Amino acid sequence: MDWKPDWGLRGRMALTMFLLFALYIVFIAVIARTYAVFLPLVAVFMFAQFFFSDKLALYSMGAKEVSEEEYPQLHATIGRLSQQADLPKPKVAVVDSRVPNAFATGRSQKKAAVCVTTGILRTLDDDELEGVLAHELAHVKNRDVMVMTIASFLSTVAFMIVRWGFWFGGGNRDRQGGGVLAAIAASLVVWIVSYLLIRALSRYREYAADRGAAVITGRPSALASALMKISGRMDQVPQDDLREQSEMNAFFIIPIKSGIISRLFSTHPSTENRIERLRQLEREMETA
Amino acid sequence: MGFMDSIRSVLGISAEADATRDADPEDLFGMSTAYLTMEADLGFESVGAAALCFSSVDSTDFEQTVEEVEAILQAGEEETGTTFRVQEDSHGWEWVVLEDDDPEDLVTSIHFAADEFIERGYGSRLLAAVFGFERDGDRAYWIYSFRRGAYYPFAPGRGREQNDRVLMKLESVLDGELSLESDKEYWYPMWPDRKGGHPWQ
Repeated sequence: MDWKPDWGLRGRMALTMFLLFALYIVFIAVIARTYAVFLPLVAVFMFAQFFFSDKLALYSMGAKEVSEEEYPQLHATIGRLSQQADLPKPKVAVVDSRVPNAFATGRSQKKAAVCVTTGILRTLDDDELEGVLAHELAHVKNRDVMVMTIASFLSTVAFMIVRWGFWFGGGNRDRQGGGVLAAIAASLVVWIVSYLLIRALSRYREYAADRGAAVITGRPSALASALMKISGRMDQVPQDDLREQSEMNAFFIIPIKSGIISRLFSTHPSTENRIERLRQLEREMETA
Repeated sequence: MGFMDSIRSVLGISAEADATRDADPEDLFGMSTAYLTMEADLGFESVGAAALCFSSVDSTDFEQTVEEVEAILQAGEEETGTTFRVQEDSHGWEWVVLEDDDPEDLVTSIHFAADEFIERGYGSRLLAAVFGFERDGDRAYWIYSFRRGAYYPFAPGRGREQNDRVLMKLESVLDGELSLESDKEYWYPMWPDRKGGHPWQ
């Protein structure tokens, strides 16, 4: 059973990261002179975001860490899947919500937490749940929280400059006018372009995690049927319930839909595309 | 974390790469002498059983591989008297369970079975080899993790807690003789389904 590496996916992911990186280097060069005094503040902000990301994510979702006594089956499954993926066992958290969903968080493999909703535990059978948990563990293994936090950080800074740049002109009074305008214009461009790149990168990470999950469990079809089940159920859930959760979309296995989001701007690939790729893996496995 | 690991995780393929890593079955032979040390130095005797835990693949080729493993163990049963059965546990993982009073035969049979999986390209599906011991009602296990390529002890105590004293004893006495997992975060317990049962029960 040899899984063929997906070179197309890897290539697109590498190219996206390269473009982001290049964009950010230019961005830093442009704004460094105007906003040099704020650099320490920015560094502290990044540090905090990185170090508290896991706690923030769990807290904002209302997730509660659960013990082995409370959820023995869930713990056992996550334990063995972690073993299979060569990961230390992450913390296990549960959100009391009937929306079927799951996400992983944590800046490093040792600080990771896998969180599921009570809705997903009720909706999926054992094999399907295993697929979803393996998908989240693949995110942990691939260090997606770290990668995405780093990737989106300068984009956040660019956004803040666009918004507040005029009020904080920087330290150099003589050069203010022109320098600030140029910096704000550059930030606007960087913000828009990086936004699109980050969204693309996020979608590739989802495909990679789906592949990882299929390889960990040896059952691409179980994850596919889980995705179908969850996305089917997601459509029936009233929107009102979900508003406060929309920020967390990037970490969910299936994002919560909010009206019309163009393909370009979505963090997750469409369920049909993901299922099609899992079917490809299934074929690969049977014909190897 | 090495340089290549960083590259793999940045490209988002560590999960895939790690789940397909090849196992090294030769480490299993370390268990033959460990059985002697366990009895001579610690008074832990073999429970007369050992087992191989694997996760199945939903494919025809994998089913044939399991049949092949069974055929090999069937031949061994005629020769050494090591009985075997293949079963599924409540978490959906599969086990090859072997029973024999001679620990040497257990090690050999586990090795045969593991080797066959690896030969057929399914080394990455092997999770652990588990060897059971007993002393005055206390159970202790040595678990070989195919993912980590290392052994670690498991000593079920009361309820869902490990017997730390036994764990420490096993670790200190067998360190050096077996290649031990140094990172305790990977000392995954394998709780039995029913009280007093083995992990594979």
